[in-house]
Amino acid sequence: MNPAQVLLFAVGGLSNAAYLFIVAAGLSLVFGALRVINMAHGSLYMIAAFVTVVVAEKLGLAFGFWSGLLAALIITGVIGAIIEIVVLRRVYRAEHLVQLLGTYALTLIIAGLVRIIFGPNYRTVKSPALFTGSVSLAGFSYSVYSFFMIGAAIVIAAGVYVMLYRTALGRNIRAAVSDPELLSASGIDVARLFTTVFVIGACLAALGGVIVAPSQAVGSSMDTDVLVLAFAISVIGGLGSIVGSLVGSVIVGEVYSFGLQYAVTNQFALAFVFIIMAAVLIIRPWGLFGTPEQ
Amino acid sequence: MISRLHLPRSARFRWTVAVIFVGFALLVPPLAGLHAAINPDVSGKFEIFLATQAMVLALWAVSYNLMLGYAGMVSFAHAAYYGVGAYTVGLLFQRFHLPVLAGLALAPLLAAVFGLVTGLAALRAVRLYFSLLTLAISQVLFSIAFNWYGFTGGDNGIHGLEVPDQLTDFTVLYYFVAAVVGLCLALMLMLTRSPFGAALAAIRENRERARAIGINVKSYELAVFTIAATFAGVAGGLYAVFQQQAFPEQLYWTQNAQPVVVALLGGTGTFLGPAIGAFVYTLLDNLLSKNFPYQFDILLGAIVLGVVLVVPGGFSALPDLFATLRARFHHEPELKPVESAGESMERADVGKVVRIEAVQADPAVVERGEPLLTVQGLSRAFGGLRAVQDVDLVVHAGDRHAIIGPNGAGKSTLFNLITGRLKPDAGRVIFAGQDIKGRPPHTIARAGIGRAFQITMIFPKLTVLQNLQYAMLAHRGRTVRPFGRADRMFREEAMELLEAVGLDQYAELPAGQLSHGDQRAIEIAISLALGSRLVLLDEPTAGMSPFETEKAMELVRRVAQEKHLTLLFCEHDMEVVFGTARTVTVMHQGRVLTEGTPDEVRANADVQKVYLGELEAEAVG
Repeated sequence: MNPAQVLLFAVGGLSNAAYLFIVAAGLSLVFGALRVINMAHGSLYMIAAFVTVVVAEKLGLAFGFWSGLLAALIITGVIGAIIEIVVLRRVYRAEHLVQLLGTYALTLIIAGLVRIIFGPNYRTVKSPALFTGSVSLAGFSYSVYSFFMIGAAIVIAAGVYVMLYRTALGRNIRAAVSDPELLSASGIDVARLFTTVFVIGACLAALGGVIVAPSQAVGSSMDTDVLVLAFAISVIGGLGSIVGSLVGSVIVGEVYSFGLQYAVTNQFALAFVFIIMAAVLIIRPWGLFGTPEQ
Repeated sequence: MISRLHLPRSARFRWTVAVIFVGFALLVPPLAGLHAAINPDVSGKFEIFLATQAMVLALWAVSYNLMLGYAGMVSFAHAAYYGVGAYTVGLLFQRFHLPVLAGLALAPLLAAVFGLVTGLAALRAVRLYFSLLTLAISQVLFSIAFNWYGFTGGDNGIHGLEVPDQLTDFTVLYYFVAAVVGLCLALMLMLTRSPFGAALAAIRENRERARAIGINVKSYELAVFTIAATFAGVAGGLYAVFQQQAFPEQLYWTQNAQPVVVALLGGTGTFLGPAIGAFVYTLLDNLLSKNFPYQFDILLGAIVLGVVLVVPGGFSALPDLFATLRARFHHEPELKPVESAGESMERADVGKVVRIEAVQADPAVVERGEPLLTVQGLSRAFGGLRAVQDVDLVVHAGDRHAIIGPNGAGKSTLFNLITGRLKPDAGRVIFAGQDIKGRPPHTIARAGIGRAFQITMIFPKLTVLQNLQYAMLAHRGRTVRPFGRADRMFREEAMELLEAVGLDQYAELPAGQLSHGDQRAIEIAISLALGSRLVLLDEPTAGMSPFETEKAMELVRRVAQEKHLTLLFCEHDMEVVFGTARTVTVMHQGRVLTEGTPDEVRANADVQKVYLGELEAEAVG
């Protein structure tokens, strides 16, 4: 493998990492503040991808993608708020298995609804006009869109950072992560905070879904496919840690990208991801950047 | 939710359901024949085939419920072991030309090996992280089945298995599958009622308490995980035999939805619930999934959500719900736990002879008053806070030793260090000649240190009686037994102890329904039921009324005396301390301030200063 190939696969890995980070960051943020693993996170991602496809088909290349982005954010945000208020509020105090089963039920319901509304077939959407085509670098051609994905992930990562460390909302979220009891004693409207956090998480899932839509076929198995990868990333990086999501998604993206390049490993590229996840959990159950649960 | 009964369900109802179920299962082929005779549009063969499918699903779901309902574990890898069973039959037939029945016999063994090895890895983590690890394991196994074309046939799977001629008839095949499933169900039923099953229930209800009564939580979880995998292997093997195929999607993690939905549908709180759920599910699946596949998904989701949010315990809990409503409607007198403090204790017969099998106490050692517990230089810091610093303590056999000190003196931390709940940074803990420092809590419990916690640590959904019975079973190492009826063991001993604390009238009520004072009494009774040589009581009477406190301490004193137990307790109530203790150690800011008889301590100027200081601080604060 020469350096030019390494660069090619590395960029491929990073563009995987980009959308995975956006999705995993949402999962991790919600877990950190609400202590709930949202099994329906992948479903929100899938809804957003389908909404983008449909809106883009209706509006055409010029504005389609961007209008799709906006529509997906609004729709997913509203669904997120409904889920938080109707389901999650009732299970915060329950055992983790109730939470797993409750949000799992949502994935079944959403999967059924998505198939009824959008049909069972795979759909595609063109990338926005600004980011079509490819560039040539050291003898290989790279799609412009994969650089857009990487750029978008960096912008979103920065946005999440600013939100967490530079705003009042972020301060409250961090307080919820580190000491939930203190938070409820401090006079903050915890119910509203949790809804807000969940909606932000849902919007991150949506951003991931929208951004990934032009780069792969949009189908009704997207929800579970992305969910297991987002789990793997969150577990490797540490549930509740945004930095962990970043590192985890780069690891998973690159392992997958390079794993696919060798004949011996290519069949098992996905298995490697889960072997790494298992290894991290066994050695450091709370993940690379997580904190041990009490 | 996902718990056993909230109310004692009538045994008659359960028997009726079981008899109807077994009767129905036996009569499926003739019923199907009858149905076909009445209605020519119906295929009797197809109905028998569906019932066979339901049988296999029943086995799979009941085995899942061993984890979900009995031990409180959510696994995403159960489908993988089901798949291992199916592939064992398929691959042995295709690659090694072994008959499918030989494959079926080997399927549980292979599934058990996979379950044990992967379970060892998965149980490095707890709760949520355990669930996520099982997900990773399941995905690894899936991608092996899916991608290893050379061996497993990849995404094509394995087809065209040949069953022996005798089994080609639908009716015979049905009875064969039903017989295997019946045998497996009988084995699992035995397991859940045994002392082993009692240990699982204890773990599900309260892990911390389970450890403190001497249950090695991880080992039991690994055992039930492996056992569940074994039976899933049988189910998968049966599937391969009667469907004559195996394919990779069987292992995919979303497949776990089936046993989960089926278990919830039938009720995780009962043994047979998931089996009945399997028949309902198969029927619904057949009616809906062809014409309305997506609506079927939504229905399943709605069922799970409904069970989780609205009917905890699943549909099998409905009779309980009805029973409660009926009782209310007819104004039947209900046995209500007493909320007012002291009433139970008024009934307490502290003079009652309690036959606790004190497993280790040696009267001669107690007579000589040899050191039973020696703590040397024990330290533990949390970040910058030195909670316990360089503590030396000797507890003599037969003594009643109190530790007092203001809030934050390090008393509870010291207890946690002795019982293994926390690991010491430095120092030694020697109990009866053994160095027990840093050992896990269950080993220390089994070595002979029993404990009552400061926060009530009972098994809330088990009955009051079971709380004590299971403690007695666990502490004597009987919970490894996978047969026998746990609820019939130590019944009298547990009842006597309940009479002594005045809780015998509530013996059959879930412990969590009792009032706070009564729950404290259970907490103390558990620590006594263990029959440990050394009993640690962390503020045993916290939250009790003065009357209850007096009675409870009288009981503790008397049992300790009769059974030659040694007591180490900490307490804020000075009357309790000076009325019970023969030796008092005073702690302050993580260190031992002084030690002596109650009179010496009372007269000590430093002690007065510490308590006065605290009083002043309280007055100011």
